[in-house]
Amino acid sequence: MILAANITYTSSQALSDLAQVGPIVAVSTALLVAIILDLVLPVHLRGPVAAAVATLGYLGGGAAAIALWLLGAGHYAYSGFATGDEFAVFFDVLFAVLGILTVAISRGYLRDRAFPEAEFQVLLLASVAGMMVLASATSLVTVFLGLELLSVALYILSGFARADTRSQESAAKYLLVGGFASAFVLYGMALVYGATASTQLSVLAQRVTDQSAGNPLVVAGVMLMAIGFAYKVSAAPFHMWTPDVYQGAPLPVTTFMSVGTKAAAFAMIIRVFSQGLPHLAFEWQALLAFVSATSMIVGNLMAIVQVSMKRLLAYSGVAHAGYILVGVIAGGSAGVGAVLFYLAAYLFMNFGAFAVLTVLSGPDGEHEHMSDLEGLSARHPVLAVLLTLFLLSLAGFPPTVGFIGKFFLFAAGVSAGYTWLVVLAVLMSVVSVYYYIRAVIHIWSPLPGPRPLWVGRTASLALVVTGALSLALGISPALLFLIGQAGAGPVLAAGR
Amino acid sequence: MLTAIWLVPVLGGLAVMALPRRFAKLLAVAVAVAALALTLVAAAGFQPGHRGFQFVERAPWIPQYHVAYFLGVDGVNLWLVALNALVGLVAVLATPLRTLAAGRFLGLLLLMEGAMAGVFLSLDLLLFYVFWEAMLIPAYFLLWLWGEGPRPVRAALKFVLFTLAGSLLMLVGVIGEYAFTSHTTFAIPDLAGQPPPPAVQFGLFALFALAFAIKVPVFPFHSWLPDAYVAAPTPMLLLFAGVMGKTGAYALLRIVVPLFPHPVSFWNWNAVLPVLAVIGIAWGAFLALAQTDIKAIVAYSSISHMGFIVLGVFTFNAQGQQGAVLQMVNHGIIITALFLIVAWISQRAGTRQRAGLAGLATRMPVMAGVFLIVSLAALGLPGLNNFVGEFMTLLGAWQLSPVLAVLGCIGLVLAPVYMLRLFQGMMHGGRGAAPHHGGVAPQSAAAPAGTAVAAPAIDISGGELALLAPLILLMFLLGLYPDLLMRALQQ
Repeated sequence: MILAANITYTSSQALSDLAQVGPIVAVSTALLVAIILDLVLPVHLRGPVAAAVATLGYLGGGAAAIALWLLGAGHYAYSGFATGDEFAVFFDVLFAVLGILTVAISRGYLRDRAFPEAEFQVLLLASVAGMMVLASATSLVTVFLGLELLSVALYILSGFARADTRSQESAAKYLLVGGFASAFVLYGMALVYGATASTQLSVLAQRVTDQSAGNPLVVAGVMLMAIGFAYKVSAAPFHMWTPDVYQGAPLPVTTFMSVGTKAAAFAMIIRVFSQGLPHLAFEWQALLAFVSATSMIVGNLMAIVQVSMKRLLAYSGVAHAGYILVGVIAGGSAGVGAVLFYLAAYLFMNFGAFAVLTVLSGPDGEHEHMSDLEGLSARHPVLAVLLTLFLLSLAGFPPTVGFIGKFFLFAAGVSAGYTWLVVLAVLMSVVSVYYYIRAVIHIWSPLPGPRPLWVGRTASLALVVTGALSLALGISPALLFLIGQAGAGPVLAAGR
Repeated sequence: MLTAIWLVPVLGGLAVMALPRRFAKLLAVAVAVAALALTLVAAAGFQPGHRGFQFVERAPWIPQYHVAYFLGVDGVNLWLVALNALVGLVAVLATPLRTLAAGRFLGLLLLMEGAMAGVFLSLDLLLFYVFWEAMLIPAYFLLWLWGEGPRPVRAALKFVLFTLAGSLLMLVGVIGEYAFTSHTTFAIPDLAGQPPPPAVQFGLFALFALAFAIKVPVFPFHSWLPDAYVAAPTPMLLLFAGVMGKTGAYALLRIVVPLFPHPVSFWNWNAVLPVLAVIGIAWGAFLALAQTDIKAIVAYSSISHMGFIVLGVFTFNAQGQQGAVLQMVNHGIIITALFLIVAWISQRAGTRQRAGLAGLATRMPVMAGVFLIVSLAALGLPGLNNFVGEFMTLLGAWQLSPVLAVLGCIGLVLAPVYMLRLFQGMMHGGRGAAPHHGGVAPQSAAAPAGTAVAAPAIDISGGELALLAPLILLMFLLGLYPDLLMRALQQ
């Protein structure tokens, strides 16, 4: 449906629409301010100021999101292209927190290498803005807009270490594969548009009915989109880029995208599939179940043989995409709520694991080989405890948040009748314990470390916060799950 | 009250980890004593003959899934909690100050004790699962970082992967039990009233029983045990063998038996488990006969004795199940004492090879006397505690199937063989014992009385004796007056 041209757009309407995308506005404003300040300020001030502006932008975005939630005033804005509903707001807060944490851990790393910090922060802001657009998108057009905004910024960020050929390789690979994935998504969207004459998810939900399963345009479109989405969440068999890109990209970027891209891409999957195509659930559930099963098997088995922590966590990320897909497939308040809970949990535990690797790297390079962890318990006991906690949480040990997250996903899966998938997930979790424990063994091996370790103040704070939340949310998960279920509400209501 | 029983060791353990060794041990002892005192207060306030659970604490934890923080005790778990606290205290006291990173070691011991107390106390299926998995983490670290022998890493990993394979499948079972009953509760007492259809029970039984059978361990899932027990550092081994194995047996009694009363589909699981238990009794006893490492002998004897407990649980009659609970407590006490003595002797002698040890009684007469009492208790001499439990178990098993009871007696027959052979060989064996094993220098054949002991043998110290005294006292007390425990069990 092309937008009717006869709608008069009043200023009050404009303000109301703007309020719906308040978080995006805050982050975009910070983005513009940071760019301008980067041009006018003296060189030595640019980095700190950009970091401060970025932090303010994320804080503003988070505050706007929370205000929207509390007012409960989410509705369609911009003629149905975007919204500020609870689902969007949940992810907005997630991304704002992610932004702040990334700023906190990246500063020392960038300074050590004399990287242009302001540029980094600007690109990060752009990427976060893209993620927020994706979370707010209620039209295929906006979905694609957000996807590209987030991706383009990340292509540049992964090549941020300009002198490092591996970083360049990472950027090139990410760009090519990402472009490929975008093409899949776009072509799929075009086919669905061709079949339904609309890009808006609410309209799609009405026009794509149970009979559409026989419509080759729709089916092909859904399949193509599913492939593109699988690329973005790094689910097998479309995961090949993940380890290489993760390994080559500078660590703060890897940290950021390992969590952010995954969360944003899952927001996109849930928006498009659960909200836009609820009547084709049987078809896309079958597709995603296949992708989920392969991801869990491939990710966990491949992680066993890794010696680079970045690659290990990349494959563990593939496996986690598989676990989270169980919740998407299960659907309903329990399933989607579990996905949102798990993504929040993943934000803390996976970010934490990568963040420890980030602070381990010195000016001479990144120390992310598994053997570099040896003696960490002697060099910096607190860091050793934190990394152990993050890895145990990723492995799903109680009483960490990783366990409760898995419990919610699996409970939803069993209740929805996907017991076979849950049994597979559980068996693969046993495999995963092997490689996480292997990393833990290195941390606590009694070899004395080469030198003491100094961790920056902001990075320490970020690590302590993520560590505390990884534990606290595991002990007291009820509130976050409640919020997750509320966040899932709009997506599910719109589909019925 | 019950919260404090598991929370005190956990918080205490965390605090202990941060302290230097001398203070760490002081605080650890204080924490362990406090935990034991708390359980004794609970035991004193416990009213026998009262149906249902006492000291119940119940609060919603994850209301969306009706998961509750739900603790309570009855006659079954009360004594296991007390056993856990007692063995925990003994383990802490038995930890030498010179242990590497003693603070962390003691802290992890207390964490393990706290998590196991949680396993015994929780009455909510998911809460139980949380403690069940949580107790694995400290156990793993203790086994791996302080383990003995050439490859503790391997033993630790084998133990963790074995147990996790079982317990993660149990998570599917936990979720399945919720999904296939009324979708309203994870509380074990409530779930017991609403069994799912037999075919579902059959599947869930398999998921739960596998996890518990690995932990106990029940034949044929025992292969991790000798590796892990032999590698475990002594204080941790006390908790490991004395209490952790009982968590599996307890869970069979607390969860599997009441929740899945009729697990019949392709076959009847309730008929399979007793058979496996009897095979385990015989298998463990035969393997114990074949061992040369004295720690391994005790480890395999443990498989045999745990078989009696599982047999008792699956007799489905009061005698058998009460016998099983008695046996859990008895075996916990005996195995703790046995492993302590074995550790002390092998430490003094510098070897764990049976063939390398002989005639120690002349050098350590008191140790020999103590060892004799414990050995006699272990082989089931009437008047000592093991006899009562095994007798009741076999009485229960007879009502189920006389054939099983008779076959179970193989364990009773073989226990004196390997225990007395062990005792005689170590304490009284003369020149006949070949001293050429276990890294002992061949010229030691010239040593007096033909012993292979290179180091001067010192008799048991006063501190060590004091550590064993309460355990031995309990062996007599429970052997002569089992009613002490039985009163709480009859309801």
